[in-house]
Amino acid sequence: MRDFTLAPEIEELQAAAERLARTELEPNVRDAEAAGRWPDAVLDVLDGFPLGGLDLPEELGGVGAGATAKVVALETLAHADASGLAGADRPGPTVGAVMACPDRDLAAQVAATGLDRSAQAALTVIDPEHGAHELPWGPGLPPLRWIWVSEGDTLRLHEVAGTPTPVQVLAFQASAPVSIAYADTVMRGSWSLGPRTSLDVRSRARLWGAAVAVGIAQAALEETIEYATDRIVFGKPVAHHQGNAFDLAAAAAGVHGARLVVRDAAAAYDREEPDAGFWATQAWLEAMDAAFRATNTGIQLLGGHGFIADHLAEKRFREARMLALSVGGRDCAEADVATFVLDIEDPLTAGRELS
Amino acid sequence: MIELDRRTREMIEEVRELGRLHIRQMGLDADQSAMPPPVDHEFYYICARQDGLVSRMVGADEGSGALDWKPFRNFLVGEEAAYWDRGVALSLPGPGLGGPAMRSTATPEQRQRFLEVFTDHSKPRWGAMAMTEPGAGSDVARIATRARKDGDEWVLTGQKMFCSNSARAEWVVVWATVDPSLGREGHRAFVVERGMPGFEILKIEHKMGSRGYETASFTLDDVRVPAENLLGGEEFYQSRAGFKASMATFNMTRPLHTAHGVGMGRAAHDFALDFVKAEYPKHSRRRQLAMERLARIRRGLHTARLMYLNAVWLAKTGKSNALEASYAKMYSPPIILEAVTAALEILGEAGVRNDKMLEKLYRDVKILDIGEGTQQVQRVVVARQLFDFPRDK
Repeated sequence: MRDFTLAPEIEELQAAAERLARTELEPNVRDAEAAGRWPDAVLDVLDGFPLGGLDLPEELGGVGAGATAKVVALETLAHADASGLAGADRPGPTVGAVMACPDRDLAAQVAATGLDRSAQAALTVIDPEHGAHELPWGPGLPPLRWIWVSEGDTLRLHEVAGTPTPVQVLAFQASAPVSIAYADTVMRGSWSLGPRTSLDVRSRARLWGAAVAVGIAQAALEETIEYATDRIVFGKPVAHHQGNAFDLAAAAAGVHGARLVVRDAAAAYDREEPDAGFWATQAWLEAMDAAFRATNTGIQLLGGHGFIADHLAEKRFREARMLALSVGGRDCAEADVATFVLDIEDPLTAGRELS
Repeated sequence: MIELDRRTREMIEEVRELGRLHIRQMGLDADQSAMPPPVDHEFYYICARQDGLVSRMVGADEGSGALDWKPFRNFLVGEEAAYWDRGVALSLPGPGLGGPAMRSTATPEQRQRFLEVFTDHSKPRWGAMAMTEPGAGSDVARIATRARKDGDEWVLTGQKMFCSNSARAEWVVVWATVDPSLGREGHRAFVVERGMPGFEILKIEHKMGSRGYETASFTLDDVRVPAENLLGGEEFYQSRAGFKASMATFNMTRPLHTAHGVGMGRAAHDFALDFVKAEYPKHSRRRQLAMERLARIRRGLHTARLMYLNAVWLAKTGKSNALEASYAKMYSPPIILEAVTAALEILGEAGVRNDKMLEKLYRDVKILDIGEGTQQVQRVVVARQLFDFPRDK
């Protein structure tokens, strides 16, 4: 029967991530964003977890702790600071591509360069009808070397040959964002995967973003409640005006629901459910809505204080939006789940018939 | 994903079969006639028999009359029953909403006495619970039905409304106050038995939807109730912890609303899905848009289901679920309404004909955002728990 308990080893991991977040990430959020990277001390600890290898199977060099362990770790770290996660977690969002790549030796090689911190990898989604001539952004520290491209049902791997250009992007500045034209890359492989596996490539990346979004949203909610119960307007705390209270309650329910569906999708991957990719993309959509609502409510209730850098509300607002543009963005995710919706059975009603 | 044990899956299958054979048609008939199914309907006898659905859902230890609580199973079965018709699902024989109060508050002797009636499988029997009054809905602290002690009896005076199945019930758990100035601290639960002088059903309400169960109003005109019908006994109410635990059982009715809503939303989804498969040309723009809407419905229903299961799991593992129960209750009704609305729009004007079921669902679902505390009340409850949103003086 359904059990919402985390396994003891995942709780231990969560506790370790919380300690790291509290001692190393939280005090350095703005400095890390300005520096364009998380401190080496943090990266050393995360590589020791290893954060990148948590959800990577052992045959590909990971520790095979599973997707649930990974999303819990990501939620916890993102709660403190998400900005450097895209750089610190290798293979991170590209894990689905690594696992789906039919050339196992090449996939293992790519993963290994991430785990040993010698190279960075990115995943991007290209609409087959429009194409693309450059990677808009990817993590650049350690140097970006690999670009996984999901284009329709095709997976490609490009190896960077030129020098990526540092770019300023909306958020995740501590992941040292860089851009590069595909003309400055060499294609190392191209594989036709079929619709289900292609969905998994994108869905594992979305699960990554969804977990990060839940952490950001939870942090936004907590900061907003703290501020809004302290700050007095028109004779009572901001949060005690009913309109504001209702917005906060709705945001909180959204974050709660998003956390449940994200962890549920991760558990589906851990059980090797055939529909896990469908539910992971659904979880991403739910988490993006929740994160936008929580961070937008946060800025709104902090008022002018939400708009200035003294608080983290504006940073989380930017991060939530940027996550929602990743992996092809919302339209791509909606199209992905729509493609499969007619064939996905409800687990409760498998074999049902309508009267 | 939801993992189901074998017995739960068997029960869901059984409900599905009952749904096809009885529940949906009973709901349609009740809707047409604006009257709940009669108490002697064949379906109720099937449910009430010894190996029937009700005894297995309650899981009664028939010797002691104890209630063996199987919440996951009951909620999932409830979701499936609501898929076929929520009104009829609420009309199932058994202790009904009186069950939680019996489980949390009654003494062993009271459980034996009041639940024993359900071990007679020769005919269906109902229990009920009455809290709402004309002047006190979501804000239950305002109930005005008075209870005063007179010798070995309590005398109850007042009026209750929106009470499910009370006109056919063997007994009704009636909440009254010994002193309105005490708020919820002054509340007491009494078992009022059918036929007690002064207990009079006023009317069965005519509703926009959810007509498959009776929603009754009744008066209590100096109803004399023996002291042994005070649920839990006097001592129970002197213990604040015990009383709070009793009230916490209401945290299970909000997730049950959500479970029912998910079932109704699934029904709407399935109507629309079958329509899209049959009527919308493959590769058409319209079909693509409909599939995106269906995917959105699936996402909302899946989230709502996890929310109610999470609230149930918290209760089952002895943790507080007040916040999560309200999360589920406030999240789900708009999602369910959106599901039915989307299904109607996918079917187009064909959907509003009452032989298509969807127009009935549209009328049925609105109560989900009202009963057991409206959307607005849930937000107040959540706000109180999250950041001590003040109560009005």
